[in-house]
Amino acid sequence: MAIPGLHLTRIGKGNYLLEPLRSMNIRDKGLLMQEIVSHVQQGQGTHLYYDLNGLPIIDQVYYDWLDKLARTCLAVNIKMICINMQPTAAFTLSSFLTRKPVFETALGIPD
Amino acid sequence: MVQKKESSEKLAALFGLKIGNISAQLEETGREFFCADNKLMDDDEIADLSGEFVNLISGLLNSKDPLKRTSPQFHALEIFFSGLTQRMLMRGGNVEDVVRYAQQLQYSLISALEGDSGITFTQSRSVLLYFAQLFDELIMAVFRIYLNERENMLKAQEAELRETSTPITEIWDGVLTLPIIGTLDSSRTMLVMEALLSRIAKDHARAVVMDLTGVKNIDSQVSHHLIQMVRAVQLMGSDAIITGIHPEIARALVSLNIDLSGVTTRASLSDGLKEAFSRMGIQVSHKAS
Repeated sequence: MAIPGLHLTRIGKGNYLLEPLRSMNIRDKGLLMQEIVSHVQQGQGTHLYYDLNGLPIIDQVYYDWLDKLARTCLAVNIKMICINMQPTAAFTLSSFLTRKPVFETALGIPD
Repeated sequence: MVQKKESSEKLAALFGLKIGNISAQLEETGREFFCADNKLMDDDEIADLSGEFVNLISGLLNSKDPLKRTSPQFHALEIFFSGLTQRMLMRGGNVEDVVRYAQQLQYSLISALEGDSGITFTQSRSVLLYFAQLFDELIMAVFRIYLNERENMLKAQEAELRETSTPITEIWDGVLTLPIIGTLDSSRTMLVMEALLSRIAKDHARAVVMDLTGVKNIDSQVSHHLIQMVRAVQLMGSDAIITGIHPEIARALVSLNIDLSGVTTRASLSDGLKEAFSRMGIQVSHKAS
């Protein structure tokens, strides 16, 4: 099942990699979250790696999307880990964050 | 009225002069200032310099409006003096030599022109005034360049100092250390943060130990920047460990209501490194004897 605007790939037992494309429309986040979580759940996934490699800036709107997706994942016992965050994105995000984000972060997918 | 007419006639006579043959006299002035003890130029350079100056001043005197400060000929003279100043400063000369050279050039030029034309310029206020104004402007150009060069040099030194005072070192595979020395201000914190985040991305560093042993003062804004730096490091997926917080800094952080709950702190740099190693599963021990 393909979800428009992103690539969701199984990368090992229980792990999924989400690579957002430029065409991903986060305005319709409700439906998008439902589709992602349902796909991971069907594959008995426990970890969702969200690749932020092509994202130079994370603003409040995008952070809200990440936050909601991570909360939705937590609700069904899936851990969301953001990987490959760019220095510029980390800088902008850290400038307005007031608390620890719900999602975890990592440099990349662990070996 | 008669005197004014006489003055303008003298100026007109000055502007009509062909002064191509006085460069040899001006070369003497150049040698006096740049070839004496300081050896800033050789004879060939002095000859080129004098020849170029004569061409430029001749161009100005024979231009449509030699009194106009915005003419291309005047601008060319300004550029000539700016270039000369830059060259002398780069070779270790000082601005005073260039200014005195310009002044001496003015006297030599008047004297040479007098000899060449047979007109006694020294008795003509208009001619002297013209040269005084012209050379005042050129000396201003010299000072402008001097100040710009000084400012650029100070900026370069400041940047160099910043770079050397915050050396980011990969002390182990995936472990970066950042000893911060001196006063942290907002602009410096931003620079450190930029350098650190880029380095984490480049080296894929899993832990960063920031040592504040050399920091004596911290204010509210800087402490927020520091926490922001820790948060940004964590967001990139690395562990941030702060070490060497002085009691005064700790007190300041508490009184500023800075939340350190999500920040790992250790007493010394060595403790911080041990913590980083242990998180990465590295064990450093003495060799069994």
